Parts: sequence; C-alpha cells; structure tokens
Amino acid sequence: MVAETELPHYDREKAAAERAAIDGSCRGPVLFFAASAVCWLLVGSALALMASIKLHSPSFLTSTAELTFGRVRMAHLQAVGIGWSSMAAVAAALWLMCRLARAELMYPRILYVAGVLWNIGVALAVFGILGGDGQSVEWLDAPPYTPPFLVAALGIVAAWVVATFRRRRETHLYVSQWYILGAVFWFPWIYTVAVFMIFWSPATGVVQPIVNWWFGHNVLGLWFTPIALASIYYIIPKVIGRPIHSYYLSITGFWALALFYSWAGMHHLIGGPIPAWLATASIVGSVMMFIPVIAVAINHHMTMLGHFHRLKYSPALRFTVFGAIAYTWVSFQGAIEALKDFSEVAHFTQYTVAHAHLGAYGFVAMTFFGLFYYMVPRLTGREWANATLIRIHFWCASIGITIYFVSLSIGGWWQGRMLNNPNVPIGNIVNYLLPYFFNRSIAGVLLTIGHVAFAVSFVMNLAGWGKKRVGGPTYFVQAATTSPPVLMPY
Amino acid sequence: MSAVDFAVLASVVGSIVLFGGAAALAIGWAFRSGQFDNFQQGAHSIFGPDEPIGEATDGKLDIECQADTPQ
Repeated sequence: MVAETELPHYDREKAAAERAAIDGSCRGPVLFFAASAVCWLLVGSALALMASIKLHSPSFLTSTAELTFGRVRMAHLQAVGIGWSSMAAVAAALWLMCRLARAELMYPRILYVAGVLWNIGVALAVFGILGGDGQSVEWLDAPPYTPPFLVAALGIVAAWVVATFRRRRETHLYVSQWYILGAVFWFPWIYTVAVFMIFWSPATGVVQPIVNWWFGHNVLGLWFTPIALASIYYIIPKVIGRPIHSYYLSITGFWALALFYSWAGMHHLIGGPIPAWLATASIVGSVMMFIPVIAVAINHHMTMLGHFHRLKYSPALRFTVFGAIAYTWVSFQGAIEALKDFSEVAHFTQYTVAHAHLGAYGFVAMTFFGLFYYMVPRLTGREWANATLIRIHFWCASIGITIYFVSLSIGGWWQGRMLNNPNVPIGNIVNYLLPYFFNRSIAGVLLTIGHVAFAVSFVMNLAGWGKKRVGGPTYFVQAATTSPPVLMPY
Repeated sequence: MSAVDFAVLASVVGSIVLFGGAAALAIGWAFRSGQFDNFQQGAHSIFGPDEPIGEATDGKLDIECQADTPQ
C-alpha cells in the first residue's frame, strides 16, 4: 500500500483524467435514465398516497373510474417498479459497468433511444392502467401494448452493458460486475418468457400463476437485488477507502444467489392449488437463501467495522448502509415467511405488503438513493447544493419506511390471526386494520416529502447550482475542518 | 400434446438450459481467465492512483467544504 504522498503526481492525474473521460462518456444516458427515474418516483409517490388514503377513507377520490383503488394501486406498482426502480437500476448498471471495466461508453446516443422507449413503455403502463386497460396479473399489470417498448429498451441496455464489459481495460472482474451481468442476462429472459406464457401464448390453468410468481419473485431477486448489491459493493468500499472485507465471500454470495433464488418464487402460492413438490422446493430455496444473504451481511458489516463514524459525513454511505441493513433484514424475514406455519398466518395480509415494501423501498430504493448521491456530482461536476435537503430526504425516507414496515407488520400479523379464526367477522378485521392503514398514509406522506426534497436537490444539481467540484469531476472537495485523510489499515 | 403445452414445455426446458448453461459457461470462463486466482486483486480493482486505498471519497454533511482546494 503506497502512502498518498508517495504516489507520483502524474499517475494520480492520469488516472483522474481516465476516470473523468469514463464518466464523461456515459454522463448523458446515465443522467437521462436517472432523471426519468426521479420523475417516475414522484408519480409513483402520488399514486401510492392516493391508494393508501383510499384504504382508510374509501370515499376519497371516487368520482372517476380512473382514480379507483384497483387502478391506482396497479399504476403505482408500475410507476415505481418499472419506472423509478428499473430506470434507476439501468443508470446504476451503465455507470458502474463503465467505471468498473474502466471503459468508455460507445455510441451513447443509442441509449437515449432506449431511454425514450422505456419512458414510453412506463407511460403507457401507468396511464393505460388508469384508463382501464390494466391486466390483473401482479407485476405484469401493464396493458398488452406496453411490453414491446420495454423489451426493445431492455435489449438495447443489456447489449450496451455487455459491449462495455467486453471493451474493459480492467481485466479483473469486480463482484459488482458479476451481479450486473447476471441482472442484464436474467431480467430480459424472465420478462420475455413471462409475457409470452401469460399473454401472447397463454398457458392454461394453474400454470399461469406459477409463471406469474416465477416472474414476480425473480424480478426482485434477479433484477433489482443484483444491481442494488452491485451498488452497495461499490459504494461502501469506495466511500470509506477500504477494500471489501472478503472478496471470496462476495463471489460465493453471488453464485449462491444465482443457484437458489429462482427456486423461491412459488412461496407466493403456498396453500394454493399447485403441486406439493413445487411448494416444498420453493420453501427449500427460500431458506437456502440464508447462505448468500449471510455472506453479503458479513462482508458489508466487516468492511464497515471501524468506519461507522463516516455515516455522519457521507449521504451516499448513509443511504447505502441503510439499504444494506434492510437487505439483510428483509431477506431473513422472507426466508422465514416461506415456512408453511408462518405463511399460514402472514399470507394474504398486510404483513406481506410490509415485507414487500421493506425490500423494494428499504433495500432497493434507499440503495439507489445512496448511489445517486455519489454518482450525480461526479457526472455533473457539481456538488449537492443544499445539505438540509439531503437531511430531509434521509430522515423522512428512513423514518417513513420504518413506520410503514412496523405498522403493517403488526397489523398484518393480527389480521392473519383473525382471518384464521372463523369466529371473527370480516368486518371486525377491516375495522381493526384502519389505524394501521392510517399510519401507512402518515408514512407515505413522509416518504413523499423526502422524494420531493430529493427531486429538488437533483434538479438543482442538473441546473448547475452548488459548488463546482474542484480539480475536475473526480476529485471530491476536501474537508476544511477535519484533518487530512488518514490512511486506514485494512 | 397441444401447441400451448408444447410452448410451455419449450419455455421451461429452454429456461433450464439457458440459465444452467450460462452459469456453467460463466464459471468455466472465470476459471480459465484466472478470475479466482487472486482474490485480493479483485477487491482492489475498484481503487486507483487517483482514488487509492486509504483515502475516503465522499463527505458532504456536517463538513465545511472549501470553495477551492489548492492544487
């Protein structure tokens, strides 16, 4: 390990220039996908609030068919699933692959086409559902005219990620690259197969929900999870300046995810009319997921050990570590939820909703927020203009998702217990849940405030507010009040 | 076997072959290209002369940032 003062100035400048060129080559498409993601985050937040309020105030916004709960809830899922989360994932995948491969993005304009197609697809999905064309398939609610746009866009993105990888100057693959390559391989396949087998050449009977939840679960674990983990594996070591604790463990975690995750989808259908072996295999796969999740958790924690004080200074680290902790929690919870005795109570209740949002928001969204806080200044050459907005975002998001998860977990568990009790009238159960639904709306308001703060920060940065990053896009402004960076032993 | 059943079987078998085959090819490539020979090199690959190990690369909140850092 070479002390900073001993590094030849030429090496440092040359490396910085290379990094600046890489960032510059992918700046346009990455920021286009990122900005689109932020827009859909706001749309999805508004739809989420509407849906949440309707559950405890059923007469809210009922004058038009477009704003009824069934449509608003499906449109919310598409806006945040295919809109915010997926477009943020694409921005992450493109930028991380360019950085990790140390390769510039070629022909970036074609990715603008992909971005436009993706935005059209999401718009058709959201507004098509609100207009009544939604399809009652979880995660595939989008109207039938939507998939061609998303498949085309996804194909372009996947091809460009692989093409960038093939042009790599860095010969050694980092674990994040494994995850990203896995994601861009898995997601197009599972999406195309699911759309084909449910809509284009529909399978009959029970096979349809089987395919539905094969897709619905795999989109979480083989699209969002890999890219979010890729981000965490990059951000934590980069921010604190310390390599990952055990690279061997990280690779083990990747292959264990690849091996076990796709078995688990049928735990969504436990208790349903599916072959018993299918349900059992899914429970085994779900529990086996303890292996990669523990590997990842050990790695993240041991890497952070001794550096938790940096959470005070770095928003990127703060959001990312929150996401990493949520990943461990939600994965452990998911494995236990798959057990039949547990599922007997928790299935079809708000407990599952809480779990889903801990994963999709507490893990995925918070991780992508962390990545954006690191990545965007390096692409625009501008620091974030206002630390208060960042604080508002973090505290509203973290407190909001905590209230959301705790309220619905408690309410959902007792909902399940009462549903299993034939002596409890269904009306009593509905009334019991009302305060928990109200808490969810409170949480939703907090989350939305955080998103607005984030969006304002983002727009300010794109518009050129905030101090210029000194020394070019890759040097971060040195702290005035703290001592010079101390070389940390690893 | 109807056309739909055949399509289902083809999709399932195709998925198994594609997923499993791709995994086998990827692991094989990784061994051949020496990806598993030096794990420390892998862990260090995200750092560079401009952002070396031991140097933090982020900090915004609670820190007064200088307008210009002397070069």
